[in-house]
Amino acid sequence: MSSSQTTTVNDPHLDNTTTTNNDTLPNNNSQEPSTSTDSSQYRSSTQYSFKPPPENSKTSTKPDLDDNEEEKRDDSMYVCNICLDIAKESVITMCGHLFCWPCLNCWLETKPQRQLCPVCKAAISKDKVVPLYGRNNEKQQDPRSKKSPPRPQAQRTEPDNSQNYQGFQSFGDAGFHLSFGIGAFPFVFFGSSFNFNDIRQRNGQNGSQFEEDQFLSKVFLWVAIIFFCWLILA
Amino acid sequence: MSCPAERRLRKELLELLTNPMPGIYIDEEKVAKNINEWIVTIEGAEKTIYEGETFQLQFSFNEKYPFDSPTVLFIGKIPVHSHIYSNGHICLSILTDDWTPALSVGAVCLSIRSMLSSATKKERPPDDMIYTRTCSKNPKKTKWFFHDDTV
Repeated sequence: MSSSQTTTVNDPHLDNTTTTNNDTLPNNNSQEPSTSTDSSQYRSSTQYSFKPPPENSKTSTKPDLDDNEEEKRDDSMYVCNICLDIAKESVITMCGHLFCWPCLNCWLETKPQRQLCPVCKAAISKDKVVPLYGRNNEKQQDPRSKKSPPRPQAQRTEPDNSQNYQGFQSFGDAGFHLSFGIGAFPFVFFGSSFNFNDIRQRNGQNGSQFEEDQFLSKVFLWVAIIFFCWLILA
Repeated sequence: MSCPAERRLRKELLELLTNPMPGIYIDEEKVAKNINEWIVTIEGAEKTIYEGETFQLQFSFNEKYPFDSPTVLFIGKIPVHSHIYSNGHICLSILTDDWTPALSVGAVCLSIRSMLSSATKKERPPDDMIYTRTCSKNPKKTKWFFHDDTV
């Protein structure tokens, strides 16, 4: 009883983010602290068998039972394919099968030469599983995580800010100037202005190269202009 | 807390007792004594050559289960089948090389039952005499060669 009170008082964050389990008993929670103790144990344990509500709240027995059954069904979607528990430190394979990371890691280590998805036997590897991060992921600490290596990092690719810019980046500096010297006139102007911005950003690092680059840029610009003038006149 | 193998076996047992599979029965008393040794009775499926017959399978689990496959043997009356030796050993890839931890007792029983169902005539494997004389007691120690993909 006292433990449940301290939980409620000391950890408001935990209370805000309770699972639906606790939400189903909001009245009981305030009236009977013992109920809230029950449900908090229920939440933390990995068991998801139905626990009957206290006898004196008989009016709410039926809806509670329905809620719990529904929850049980929902939970079964998130059962690890190896330990048959609700997946902890969950990872998902590229073929879409859910596992606890410690379970899957153990399997991968059992057969390092033949790493297959336990469910569909698709080829999998440590680098190609995706960890799932829930809202309160950090709080659920699995004791087995100490024994097994940490989960692989999620991969996050930076978004493209500007498509034009990225296109230019792929050229080397020399190739960049050369290609625009030959290219059409409006692109030369366009290109060199972009190039100017790019170099100004790197200005602090090496000034001499900046000057050299700018000189080259100007030379090529003039060559391009002369080339076009010649084309038009001839 | 019990070890992971035991924990998973209890879950499988609960699942098989709450949602029994047709033609597959578990000896609850035996399992209650030792969770690592199961006796499962399977019935020959209807409209197959094993209809009306029942066979017993013995499952032994080690502490590495489900990462390591269980040892599965026929005990008592051995069905006459081209992939089942007269000492009860079963030539089935999922029991050794193709085992995955996503398989379960139920899945193995289902596979064996379907293996029996797909047979068209009762015969022992061609190398039954030699194998039963030379093999180890543990079928997992046999290096199996799987050549019949139709099962």
